[in-house]
This record gives sequence, C-alpha cells and structure tokens, in this order.
Amino acid sequence: MIEVNNLRKEFKKTIKEPGLKGSVKSLFHPKTEKIAAVKDISFDIADGEILGFIGPNGAGKSTVIKMLTGILTPTSGTCTINGKNPTHNRKNYVREIGVVFGQRTQLWWDLPLRETYGVLKEIYEVPDDKFKERMDFLNEVLELEDFITSPVRTLSLGQRMRADIAASLLHSPKVLFLDEPTIGLDVVVKHNIRNAIEYINKKENTTVILTTHDLADIEMLANRIVMIDKGSNVFDGTISELKSKYGQIRELNFDTNDSEAKERLVYAKHFKVNEEDVIVEQEGNMVKVRFDSSVIPVSDMLTYTLGKIKVNDISVKDADIEEIIARLYKHEVG
Amino acid sequence: MRKKLKIYLPFVNAGMQETATYRTNWVFWQLGNILGCFISYFLWRAIFVSSENGSMNGFTMPQMIVYIFLMFLTTTLINSGGTYDIGEEIRDGSISMRLIKPISYNATFLFQELGNKIMTVCVLIIPLVAGVEFVRYRFTGEVQFHILMFLLYFLSAIFAYLINFFFNICFGFIAFVIKYLWGANMMKNCIVGFLSGQIIPLAFLPEMAKKVFLILPFASLNYTPVMIYMGMYTGTKMLMYIGLQMFWVLFFWGLSKLLWSVAIKHLSVQGG
Amino acid sequence: MKQIKRMMRMHRIFVTQELKRMLEYKANFVVGVIAFLLGQITNILFIWIIFSQIPNLMGWNINQIVFIYGFSLIPKGIDHLFFDNLWMIGHFYVSRGEFDKYLTRPVNTLFHVLVERLQIDALGELIMGISLICVSIPKVSIKWSLQKGVLTIVAIIFATFIYTGIKIGTAAIAFWTKKSGNITYMFYMVNDFAKYPVTIYNNTVRGVITYIIPFAFTAFYPASYILTNANPLYNVGMTVVISIVLMTIGIIIWNMGIRAYESAGS
Repeated sequence: MIEVNNLRKEFKKTIKEPGLKGSVKSLFHPKTEKIAAVKDISFDIADGEILGFIGPNGAGKSTVIKMLTGILTPTSGTCTINGKNPTHNRKNYVREIGVVFGQRTQLWWDLPLRETYGVLKEIYEVPDDKFKERMDFLNEVLELEDFITSPVRTLSLGQRMRADIAASLLHSPKVLFLDEPTIGLDVVVKHNIRNAIEYINKKENTTVILTTHDLADIEMLANRIVMIDKGSNVFDGTISELKSKYGQIRELNFDTNDSEAKERLVYAKHFKVNEEDVIVEQEGNMVKVRFDSSVIPVSDMLTYTLGKIKVNDISVKDADIEEIIARLYKHEVG
Repeated sequence: MRKKLKIYLPFVNAGMQETATYRTNWVFWQLGNILGCFISYFLWRAIFVSSENGSMNGFTMPQMIVYIFLMFLTTTLINSGGTYDIGEEIRDGSISMRLIKPISYNATFLFQELGNKIMTVCVLIIPLVAGVEFVRYRFTGEVQFHILMFLLYFLSAIFAYLINFFFNICFGFIAFVIKYLWGANMMKNCIVGFLSGQIIPLAFLPEMAKKVFLILPFASLNYTPVMIYMGMYTGTKMLMYIGLQMFWVLFFWGLSKLLWSVAIKHLSVQGG
Repeated sequence: MKQIKRMMRMHRIFVTQELKRMLEYKANFVVGVIAFLLGQITNILFIWIIFSQIPNLMGWNINQIVFIYGFSLIPKGIDHLFFDNLWMIGHFYVSRGEFDKYLTRPVNTLFHVLVERLQIDALGELIMGISLICVSIPKVSIKWSLQKGVLTIVAIIFATFIYTGIKIGTAAIAFWTKKSGNITYMFYMVNDFAKYPVTIYNNTVRGVITYIIPFAFTAFYPASYILTNANPLYNVGMTVVISIVLMTIGIIIWNMGIRAYESAGS
C-alpha cells in the first residue's frame, strides 16, 4: 500500500568560517556545499501494519518522514500511497494521511480545543453526520471530554498529545504518521497513548508509521522495524528477526570470591577466538562476561568458567532490544 | 575585570554569527531603512523648495539632508532589542531562569548586541559618513569633517545606546501588564520616534513643546549625537547635553535594577 | 464553482475563529489598534507642523496631501487586515519549520495562509485613513459621479492586491533563504513613497515607484484621478493591470518556492 523507492534528498549547506573575518566574508560570499541527508531508502508497508521507523539523531529520519508526508520534495525517488504521489498531487495525497509531530502542535493555540476540530472539519471536508460520529469515536478512545472546552494553551502535554492525535485522525486517514508521539510524557500517559494507537490500528486497520526514541513504543506497537543510519537502510524486518540477527549476544554474571578471576579466565585462548569476541569485566566480586552465543555456546562457557574459578551465583542475560539498537547506533555490530 | 569580560566574549561572537547567518535578511532590512531615508530626503527637498526662505528653524536644505542620514546612522547604532528579549522571558516564564545562572543576563544581551553592532558599524559607518561629508562638501565647497567632532559624536552615541539599552529593558517589564508585546513595542517606537526627532527635528516644534522634549530622555537618544556631529551643539551647550545623557544612562540603569527586584518579588509570589 | 464556494466557506470559518480569538484577548486588540493609530498620528503631526510653515508643497495644498495620505491607508489597511499572515511566513514560519503544517493539509497552501489570520491592528490604519478622507473631502471639492464612485471602489480593491501580490512574492523568497521578512519590509518601505504626490520626487524615484515597484498606483495615481478627474484610463486602469501582474508573479514565485521548501532541522 505504501511504496518507497530509492528516495534521496540533498540539501545545500552554508559553510561558515570562524571569527569576525569569516562572518564578514560569509556576509557577502557565502560558500555552500551539497549534503545528501537521505541517500537511498526503499521499503514497502502493507495495509494495517505498524512500522517502527528508527535511527540515531541526524540519521535522516525526519527528512524521510517529511518526504512521506508531502512536506519536502525528494531530490529523486518516489513514494506512493495507494498509487498517489505527493509530488504530483499533494492535496489529493494528504487526504490519505494524518500527521502528528510530537514536538509541534497543529492545534489552534489560543482557542478552545473544540474549535480546532471545527476548523479541521472544514479543511478536510468532513460531512456533518460523519463528523459527529467521528468525534464520538475519538472522544471514547482518547478521552477528550474533560478538556475539549479548554483553550489549547492550557492543556497538559499529555492532553495536548491526545488532542493532536485526534486532530490527525478526524478525516479517517488510511495512514497515520506519528513522529515522537510519547516524547516528554509520563509512564501512565505513554501507556494510554500506546493503547489508543493500538486500538485504532486494530479497529480501523489504519497503517501507522511511528518514529520514536523510546524503544518501548516500538516493542509494544511495531510489527516491523525499519532502521536507517546516515541516510541509508540498515535493517528492515521484525523485532524477532532483529533479535536473532544481532541478538546472539549474551551476558554472564558471576559472583565469586576470587579476586583474580579476570586473569584466570582466558576465554580467547581456550576457545581460539579473538580477544574482542569475549569481553570480561571484573568489579569486586562481580565478573561480567559478554560474548556471542553463536560463536561459543553458552554451555561451553559455563563448563569452562566453573572449572576455572569458584562461583557463588550465576545469572545469564539476554541482550534486550534497547542494547541491540544502541550497539547498532554505535556501529558495534552489523 | 579582564577575566570577567572574557566570559562574555563568546556572546560578542554569537552576535556577529547571528548577523552573518541571516545576512540577506540583514542587508535588505538596512536597504529598506535607507529607502526610508530617501523618502524623507525627497519630502524635505520639496518642503524647502516650497518654502519662501532658504532656512527653516535654523536648518538649511543641505543641513537637513545631513540630518536625515545622520539620524538613520545614529538610530541604527543605538538600536536595541531588550524589550523583546525581556518581554518574551516574562511571558513564557523563563525569566526565573536568570536567578540560577552565574552570569548577568543584561550583560549577555549587551555583548550579543555589541557583536551585532560591530558588523553594522563595519558595513554602514564608512559609506554613510562619507556620503554625509560629500553632501556637506558639495554644498559648502569645503571639507567639514573634524575627527574631534566625530569622536564626540561617537561618544555621545555610545551614551545614547546605553540609555536605549536600559530604557528598553525597563520597557520590557511592561509584559507583566500588556501581553501583546509586539503592539506595545510598536506603540513605544512611535512615541520614541517622534520625541527623539526621527520624524521631524525638534527645532521645528512649537517653543513650549521643544523645551519639554529636549529635557526628556528621548532627545538624548538620537537628537543629541546628531546635533553634536552637525556642530549645532558646541561648547558648554554640548557639555550640558552630554551631561544630561549621562544622567539618563544612570537613571535607566537604576530603574532597570529596581524593576528587576520588583519583578523577582512578583515572580516568587506567582510561583514563576 | 464548488471550489469557490468551499473557499468562501473556509474563509468565513477562519474569520469567525479570529473574531473569537479577538474577544478572548480584548486588551491586545486595543493595544494593536492604538499602536497603528499612533504611528499614523505622528505622521499627520509631521504634515501639520510642516504646513504651518509653508503655504503649499510643490503646488499641493494641505487638504490634497491629507486626502492622498488618507487614501493610501485604505488599501494598505485592507491588505493588512486580511493578509497579514504573509509576514509570518518570511519572519518565522519557514525558519522555524512551522510551515510544515500547511503542507500536510488538503488545501492550497497560499489560500490557507492568506485566510488563516485576521489582523485587527489594521483597524488603526483604516480608522485613520477614513477619518483623514472625511476631514479633507469637504475642502478639496471633488465632483462625484456614478463612474467615479465605481472606479474608486475598483481602484481600492486592486490597489489592495498590489500590496498582497508583493507580499506573496517576497514572502515566498523565504522558501529558499529561510527568512525573507526583511525583503518584504524593504518593499514595504517603498510604499511610504506613495503616500505623497509623486511629483515631489525626481525622475528616477518617480520611475521606480511607477514602473518597477509600482506602489504609486496604490495611492497617488488613483487619488489624483479622484481629486482632478484626470485620465481614469491610466490612473485607475493601470492600477488594475499592475495589480493583476503582481499577483500573478507572486503566485508563480510561491509555487516555485513550495517545491524548493526545505523545512527546518533534519
């Protein structure tokens, strides 16, 4: 339903030289260079899917989202939703989508919240009866009733976010873009918002594209992850695929009285692997061993370790998604 | 003292960078203002042509031309945006952040504006002063530029800037009363513009009004430096007006301190 | 037709919203109107002081000058009242990335920007303009006819769009440069030339404000037709032509700008 093909976006950037001389110089003779914020991105999204779109800061995430929402014109490549293309017919295209930018509101700041929906009704040409029905539904899912008569500027962040999501859904879009929808919210509100998104997705089969830095959002909601870095795709697949691909990292924790445990445990030599493949840290009684379980089976590690030192307690930890992604961002794996 | 100043050096740099970043915008802003000068120029030319005598209220036409462009230069030099900065902080409540920072906020504004001014001075002062001197030379046949006069003008302009700086900060506190800062600022600019001689030289006003306006702080802004440059204030008269400027600097500096301490009380009552 | 109906409906909705907003902030409304009134009062004070010292200004008496000045405020004020949001494009919306929201909506961006805001401050100018015209009309002896009445209205409408067209074109520059408020400001400064009879300027300035940045057609030319009956075909007809040309250029630049828009951040 959504097809993204070889999307690319270049920006012109002014280079500034430091100091007074540089400032005066760039006043008259600015130097510019072209930077590709997005190099070559392609992916498809199926109807009703929730896609987690992630990447480190400056990876080109928002640039992609802005191209998908019709805000930016791509330098090359295309994106289409149901065959509609934002570059050719923006107005037609944006009827299909709803957009929430967590850091920015599209609500009318000075007026009671209700007024915003009245205006959006006109903008999206929602018929009266449909509008009423829709407001009832959104009210029920997002619980707007308590503050719908208050001016937007007086809403709390959580209320504002709910109101913004409702605003983006008023015209029953097929695709919902959520850019950082839980930023700055407390645990309970985050939870409510995730539930609401999930409910709408299930109920109306709305396709959701979600960018966030909170990986709990992704774990709870996303069927699939697309990760980009430096303007290119790095990963595309489900969470379990991500885990099985990069998630073989295990962490063993030993409690031992042996103060020279670290020196005694020569994993690299014993298993004939590189020093970097097994990382050992010791802090007092605690010894931490991190290794790739596809290279050295966990049972072999345990047998070897227990034979070498006296151990009081053991725990084995699975790498969680947060850690995998942190490693991917830092280019440690992949 | 040197060490203290060093903290603020980055702000000077930031001010310059800011001007450079929006350079096209800055150039057009100044072009717009210079166009405004030309409107005044033509208007005054027409006024002098229509007037029966060659001099009006002590101004000849070439003097009036010089006045218009010096007024523009001075206005640009002493321009200060403190009203907005303070006003916005009051409006969004971030003014209470000032209490926890180890540096003086007024000083950061001052130095950032200084950075801005350095750029302005570099680009504007030479062509404008040269233009003004050229006009004077054309009409009188002699070079009238005196370095001493220029330095005195510059000194007076610095005082004028300081008055304006502190006055604008004081005015910024109006945000406690009027929420519509842009409108309030516009109102202030209209009144200050008139009272400081930007629209018409104060010498053209009726005798009583002139007497009052000359003592008001607004004449100390643009009018005094321009009069000094033009040689219309000399000797004890000049000293008197520079003294008056110094008085107004101190006055508004003190007032800004006072308003600040009142504001803090107000904030703590409001709870920030 | 359906399209036009929809636009009118949206315009009405937005105006209603703005009036509600105004009622919520009555103090702002008062401050804004007074501010713009004050700006005009100081200028009128200037004219009054000058005319107390000279009999006429290159053949124009004070009443005629006041009439032209007052007339100039009408199209300026109307444009200010309805289309002030364009200033925000060049000053803030583009540089802060706030323009994004217009692009995510199924409405023509320019239309959306134009109708979104009502700037009540403009009443300051309109009140002043109408008062000046009312004060000066009995003293300038205008011969009214039906034709003149119609042409006056036509002139005011199209003169308004001279302002709007120039603002659209200059605001759109921000799509390339991020900020263009001061380019708009620069052009706007030129309109001050038009508040006085163009005959007081030298040939260069007269040429510029007649043919290059033709603000003279927002005030002096139509006003001089009303005052003297001279050449309606040129004085009013050219106002119409220039207005259409400027609006067209403005819209073309705007549409090109939308494609070049780079948003903020990344």
